[in-house]
Amino acid sequence: MFKLKKDPIDNLDVLIKTNEEGRESFIPFDPANTDYQAFLKYQAEGGVVLPADDNEQAA
Amino acid sequence: MSTVNVNRVVDASGGVLAPISSVMRNRIINGAMVIDQRNAGASVATSSGVSVYTVDRWVAIYSQTSKFTIQQNAGSVTPPNGFKNYLGVTSSSAYSIGSTDFFIIRQAIEGFNVADLGWGTASASSVSISFWIRSSLTGTFGAALMNSAANRSYPFTYTISAANTWEQKTVTVAGDTSGTWLSDNGVGLYIQFGLGIGSTYSGTSGTWTGTSNIFGATGATSVVGTNGATFYITGVQLEVGTQATSFEYRQYQQELQLCQRYYWKTDSSAGAWNYIGSGVVYSSTLGFAYTQYPVLMRSAPTISTYGTVNSTNVQLIAGGVATGVTAVAGAGATETNPMSTRIDFTTSGATGGQGCLPRLANGVGVTFSAEL
Repeated sequence: MFKLKKDPIDNLDVLIKTNEEGRESFIPFDPANTDYQAFLKYQAEGGVVLPADDNEQAA
Repeated sequence: MSTVNVNRVVDASGGVLAPISSVMRNRIINGAMVIDQRNAGASVATSSGVSVYTVDRWVAIYSQTSKFTIQQNAGSVTPPNGFKNYLGVTSSSAYSIGSTDFFIIRQAIEGFNVADLGWGTASASSVSISFWIRSSLTGTFGAALMNSAANRSYPFTYTISAANTWEQKTVTVAGDTSGTWLSDNGVGLYIQFGLGIGSTYSGTSGTWTGTSNIFGATGATSVVGTNGATFYITGVQLEVGTQATSFEYRQYQQELQLCQRYYWKTDSSAGAWNYIGSGVVYSSTLGFAYTQYPVLMRSAPTISTYGTVNSTNVQLIAGGVATGVTAVAGAGATETNPMSTRIDFTTSGATGGQGCLPRLANGVGVTFSAEL
């Protein structure tokens, strides 16, 4: 599952992927990053991305 | 001036005395299966997802879960002479593979590291692949080279003659003059060893094919087809030329740093606390730490934590006190780069503007992944 939250400094998006165990990974917007590539593919295929929320920090 | 052109120097019995090509001739990283940052020698299950990393740079990919386990030095057999480690696969059942099944172990070689091969051009260089293999099964086994788009593959076979005996295999592959082979920080080529591959993903041994997604060779033995079957491999080398040379055994630190370009984790074993950087308290509930990686990574990495993050295991030292941290997070998606990043620590009662030093207990840390 992918979701977005806001970075506390500049309010830019932070992309988070949650695995089956509930652990979160923070994915950079780098076209060479394979997790980001997977996100773009997921998005292109109509996958749901939870919107940016407030500045709540992810556990 | 005279020039001497030779491929290798051998002694009277044919043993290789010295490599002629330069150091770093092996394009495989961790071919001796020494580095295992993720698992530290523990067995890895294939019980979820479609892939799992085992020893560094090697990933197991599977179409069905729980058909095998994979582990550094599985079974604790004696490695071949000159080696201390191997990667071991153990079949968990007697699974009859379907036409669209695939079970493989693979390493993706970065394009920068094979750019000199000239594949996809008329001047494509040949490569030689060598490896040590041991299995409880005998017969014909399969492997393949493949490009990043998975539309150029070279399946090949090798024979294991004796059960439970280490055998060294060498294969020479004429470079591919067709297709697109990346020479940047993407996948330059895949090398993959089959553990059982269905007909859809198998191709004719010994020839290049433009058929998509050919992971192995037709007619190869299925390791996952026999319950308890073992498949051990080490000493994997891929080098330029038509002659395989002795395995290039690198120093530990050198091999580790090569691996860290793709994955590294903060240490969690030395001392009561571990540190990943220092920073500043941003607000009463948030501290930042700057973290620089041990090497330049292939791309900006994905950041995760391991172990249990709670106020006991992670603390923020600031203003003369250590306060508990309840969450650790990566920075904004545009703020992580291949050399450094910011890590955020959620706390309470901190004073903004103070310097801070986050610390993590044994067993808790942060991972950075820029795998291919």
